[in-house]
Amino acid sequence: MNALLLATLLVPLAGIVALYALPRAVAERLATRLGFYTGAAVLVLTIVLACVFDYAKTGYQGRVDWNWIPALHVRFQLGVDGISLPLVLLTALLSALCFFYSIRHVPDGGSQRSYTALLLMLEIGVLGTFLAGDLILFFIFFEIVLLPMWALIANWGSEGAKAAATKFILYTLLGSAVMVVGFLVVFAYADSFDIAWLTAHARSDVPKGAALTAFALIALGFAVKTPMFPLHTWLPDAHTAAPTTGSVLLAGVLLKMGTYGFVRIAVPILPQAAPTYAPALAAFGVVGVIYGSLACLSIVRKPDGDLKRLIAYSSIGHMGFVLLGIGSLTPVGMNAALFASVAHGLITGLLFFLVGGLKVRMHSAKLDDLGRALYRRAPKYGVLLAFAAMASLGLPGLAGFWGEVLALFSATRPGSGLRQGSYIAMAAVAGLGLVLTATYLLAVVRRVCMGPAAVVGVGSGVGSGVGSGTDSDADGSSAETAEAAEAAEAPEMTELTAVETVTWSPLVLLTLATGLWPAMLLGITNPAVQVLMKGV
Amino acid sequence: MSQASTVALWIPLLPLASAAALAAVSITERGRKAVPALAVVPTAAAAVLTFVVLFGHGTGAATESRVRYAATGGPELWLGARVDGLAALIAVLVGVVATAVQLYSVTYMAHEERYTSYTALISLFTAAMLVVVYSTDLLLLLVGWEVMGACSYFLIGHHWERPEARSASIKAFLVTKFGDVPFLLGILFLAHGAGSFRVEPIVQHAIHQGGHGYTAAGAILLIGGVMGKSAQIPLQTWLPDAMAGPTPISALIHAATMVAAGVYVVARLYPVFLVTPAALWILAIAAALTAVTAALSAFAQRDLKRILAYSTVSQLALMVAALAAGGRDAAVFHLMSHGGFKALLFLAAGVVIHKAGTGNVDELNAHGLRRKLPVTFVTTTIGLAALAGLPPFSGFFSKESIAGVAYETATQSGPAKSVLGTPPSGIGWLVLIATLLTGLLTAAYCLRTWWMLFVPLDRVWLRRDRKAAETPAEAAAEVAKTIVPASETGAAALEALVAASEEAKSEPGAVVGVGAGAGTGVEEGTGAGAAASAGEGAGKPRTGPEAPLAELGPLVVLAAITTVFGFVGLNHGWFASWLGDADGNAYRTAAAEAGKLIQPADAYRLSPAPLSTLLAVLALLLGLALVFSALRAKPGTDPNRVLGLLRRPAREGFHADDLQDAVAVRPVQLAADAVVFLDAEVVDGYVRGSGTASRALGEGLRRLQTGNVQLYLTGVLTGVVVIAAALGFGR
Amino acid sequence: MHAVSPLTLAALLFAVGVYGMLVRRNAVAVLMAVELLLNAVNLNLVTFSALLRDRLGMGQVFTIFLITVAAAETGLGLAIVLMLYRNRGTAAIDDARELGEDGALGLKRLPSPTPPAASENDKAVAK
Repeated sequence: MNALLLATLLVPLAGIVALYALPRAVAERLATRLGFYTGAAVLVLTIVLACVFDYAKTGYQGRVDWNWIPALHVRFQLGVDGISLPLVLLTALLSALCFFYSIRHVPDGGSQRSYTALLLMLEIGVLGTFLAGDLILFFIFFEIVLLPMWALIANWGSEGAKAAATKFILYTLLGSAVMVVGFLVVFAYADSFDIAWLTAHARSDVPKGAALTAFALIALGFAVKTPMFPLHTWLPDAHTAAPTTGSVLLAGVLLKMGTYGFVRIAVPILPQAAPTYAPALAAFGVVGVIYGSLACLSIVRKPDGDLKRLIAYSSIGHMGFVLLGIGSLTPVGMNAALFASVAHGLITGLLFFLVGGLKVRMHSAKLDDLGRALYRRAPKYGVLLAFAAMASLGLPGLAGFWGEVLALFSATRPGSGLRQGSYIAMAAVAGLGLVLTATYLLAVVRRVCMGPAAVVGVGSGVGSGVGSGTDSDADGSSAETAEAAEAAEAPEMTELTAVETVTWSPLVLLTLATGLWPAMLLGITNPAVQVLMKGV
Repeated sequence: MSQASTVALWIPLLPLASAAALAAVSITERGRKAVPALAVVPTAAAAVLTFVVLFGHGTGAATESRVRYAATGGPELWLGARVDGLAALIAVLVGVVATAVQLYSVTYMAHEERYTSYTALISLFTAAMLVVVYSTDLLLLLVGWEVMGACSYFLIGHHWERPEARSASIKAFLVTKFGDVPFLLGILFLAHGAGSFRVEPIVQHAIHQGGHGYTAAGAILLIGGVMGKSAQIPLQTWLPDAMAGPTPISALIHAATMVAAGVYVVARLYPVFLVTPAALWILAIAAALTAVTAALSAFAQRDLKRILAYSTVSQLALMVAALAAGGRDAAVFHLMSHGGFKALLFLAAGVVIHKAGTGNVDELNAHGLRRKLPVTFVTTTIGLAALAGLPPFSGFFSKESIAGVAYETATQSGPAKSVLGTPPSGIGWLVLIATLLTGLLTAAYCLRTWWMLFVPLDRVWLRRDRKAAETPAEAAAEVAKTIVPASETGAAALEALVAASEEAKSEPGAVVGVGAGAGTGVEEGTGAGAAASAGEGAGKPRTGPEAPLAELGPLVVLAAITTVFGFVGLNHGWFASWLGDADGNAYRTAAAEAGKLIQPADAYRLSPAPLSTLLAVLALLLGLALVFSALRAKPGTDPNRVLGLLRRPAREGFHADDLQDAVAVRPVQLAADAVVFLDAEVVDGYVRGSGTASRALGEGLRRLQTGNVQLYLTGVLTGVVVIAAALGFGR
Repeated sequence: MHAVSPLTLAALLFAVGVYGMLVRRNAVAVLMAVELLLNAVNLNLVTFSALLRDRLGMGQVFTIFLITVAAAETGLGLAIVLMLYRNRGTAAIDDARELGEDGALGLKRLPSPTPPAASENDKAVAK
């Protein structure tokens, strides 16, 4: 077990070393392939980890524990439990898929060797964050992630990438700087950076006042990462500019580091401060749900709306449910947060892949350039997009549903010390957010997938004849004439390629599987959450 | 007896497997020939199994088999079937109608390009509906509930080339989703109250704890979902528009099964509602309003499918009203009889539209369909008679039972003794009046529809001076000029005309007349002709047999059921003993008389009571007389002109769409734009502002760098003085 | 002897030094003013050393230290001033503002043959 934990971090490191040990020309040629082998190896390792994981036991398993910086009481601790295991698997899976996708679709922007090395470094950082058992180690891995992502966005992104990358790194650095101060406040009182120890001695060692300060600082750091409503503005820019794999990993796993931090660190080690801030977390989460959905709605109604930007905003909405779950301070809420995180990783990963595929074909992710009637031009692609949209809007039977429902369930009866009335109001507002989410996603499907039938070579006669469009719901203004003309002009669309099918089908299958059999995830997270929430 | 529920546990898997297989066919594009078999056989097998469950259950108490599904950290989730009489009966309805529709679709839709995905969705829908019916866990019920909504969305949007289908699909999904949110919250509240998501503890909790706290809130919130799915005011607007879907879908989803799910859930959790009078009042008021306005709207419509859609809304409202008045058995009775005859009417409408190439009743009037479609004529007549409530068809008995129970509740005349008591008598009066008024209007629009379909308006024996029916082309032109529903016809007709001339019959999906089926079910190359006729609006009758056997067969079967089903209610306690008590226990006549059941004995009685029957029949005759006199007074015109000033608003659904637009759609759009502005200018403004601010600060400091060393020194000195002074004063 | 007179003298010297350092334009004069400052400090050190009967003679030690440093500083400073004068023909300290930022407050560039956009520092050095 220990060896496995270390190996998951060392294998990607070995990959990076290998990339730079090889002669430059060879490395450039083999880079993406090598990256895929490494990613696949990590995936296999994590799957083995999941197999040897003892689901009956709670708490950390397989503990690497070395003295690292004795003067500061910093230890090199790695461990995995029911909370981190799903996220580790998700990270390994998404990374492996990104590597596979990259074999055929490397974005322009420079050396493939650096690109692959950056992705590997990103994977190390994220995995390390989820495995770390020491606050300082956690912080270091947390920071390692930022640089490769910054470089990926800045060098391999589309227009506006530099500014977006700068915004991303400054914003998140600010967040983690604040967070580490919070860690130090905890250390000042508890004299330890050991997460497990701190959790076990949660209430006794940090006085209330200090705990309040520490929680605020730590939560601020995680809130930027999650991102919580007023601290989210880096996300849309970063996503819009990032390359496909960058977007997938950013939405799929990077955001989860924030929620993981809340569930693993902020709430369990500072339970005395949590009830003070939990309503704010939940409220900002709910505002994020509404806010993100409304922003999406506005984007989809604009002809030059960018689909990647839309999905970025939808992430803010979905992470709002995660925050609502965390804010309820109940085991159900924590389970909901973890479930919703994983589901969001799968579904939004798929959505970004799909939009990335469209971008590769049309060289733009703007709604106007995508054309209409994808169902006709590329039926399988269209159906897949509709599937992803359905999953994203929380259709029961698909992954998105359970996290959101459980978040609402926990919010209608929050933990002790929290006012139920206000939480119920928040749940109701979040429920409205579900409707808004459905609205914009269906509007996207209608805008992109549906459309007039093939009107090959038909003149203006059709347009005027059917100009009475009864589109009362959404873009009522767009006359059929325009639609028909667009349909005629719409760029040719190729169907799903083999690489895309292979890359995306695991996501589709897992979305279905976790949706139909939620115990798959809840069974892993629930025992660990129960233990964690004992002190809260 | 747990056998019945164990079987029930497996039933939804059949259509689900069928859906998966069909999806596989659709993806691999292989084995198209097997599609009809894959679609029909599992559904039929599921239907047979629902009968097995029904008879296995018999008249006993509810049984349940379940397995642990998932932990949530709170109450656990269970995957299981709870079979009581209600579930068993409704499952049979679902199975039968679904099989009929699949069978009907084999010929009706087989030539469609997207037939495979269409049937896959129907199978998925059937599975979801069966989950709703059988599930013991409310969250899993919700899974089925929303999957049904999604299937409905995709099926309404089946012809996504047409703008009205696109709008209608989104509208249907969103309006029902809007109701689903309170529904979900209601389920969560009930679960908090009972400490479980399962039906049984929740019902028991309501019975023992009464309607306080979580139970009351849960009951009231659940109504949101009922209004959404069963299309009650204020969420009724989606159903008429949903007629943009293919006709069999309208029969299956938007008449017989999915829309009844709302009623079903109320009946399933009936004690929860019974102990919450506020919830009953909300149900009663909404239902009474809906029943009457929708009946008026149905009277004023011109499109056959929209008539049926509004009539569905109105009839569903009657069921909801019956539930509000304490008539669970009556509501379920009407639900079942309505499911039969409305499916029949829609399927018949499909044949009519298919044949005539139009769904506009003004045009259909000129077709002389009675002679061309003898089987359809007879079955439609039976269906309309049942809808109107004409004895001896099923509708008469079921509607009468609603009036009867409303009367009992209003006068509180029956033995009121029971575990949970009767609803307030005010609800009884409200429901009684609404039922009678709706009965009158229903009779009127049924007669009108029948007349428009089968009897030329300027019938010889009515009057003769009017010249022969307007030429179809004129009719089409007039139709194209008028608004809303009619414009769809015109637009679609023109579209179909162009498409037909451009592509002939190669792509039937593009050649769609108003009734969705017009150009779709093309047979032996006559498709182009049919489409063209739709385009001209002339509706040249198609030669050849009336319709394939696969379409007529379901009609005949459903008509037979409609004819005899009503007599089930005649025997006291017969239906009630199959349905069981509201808490899932078996029904015993003696126990009912002694007041030991959930509801008073009258609520279980379905046979016609003298006084209410008299009133109902009077309303029926009045309605018939109204239309008849209108026909005689001015032959050749649509009898719905008796509505006078109401006709126009009624045709447009009393402008509920505009209201919805103003109340919901516009504000959301405005808010959306506001958010984007807010995000760019305010929230992100602070972020960019902090960047700009530090840059400005740097710029300011840079400007102090004059290069004059003495200036710097002056600064240093000033600083020293200030610090010294501060230290000096601080002491 | 009372400590007032040496301390007053030191304060006066210091004030004169500050004035000269901040106000005089000639670099040599500024250097002389700095020398005054240092010597004012020296005087203070010696005075307090005597006043406090400093056994270790810290004040004297620091004074000698300072005298050394001041000598070195004057040497270096004069060398810089000399170079400045050789390069520019003037030793006015407020004319030597090449290190000032463009557009800084009240910065008036030396009259130069080329517009200020061209790199002036290079020009100045070249001259």
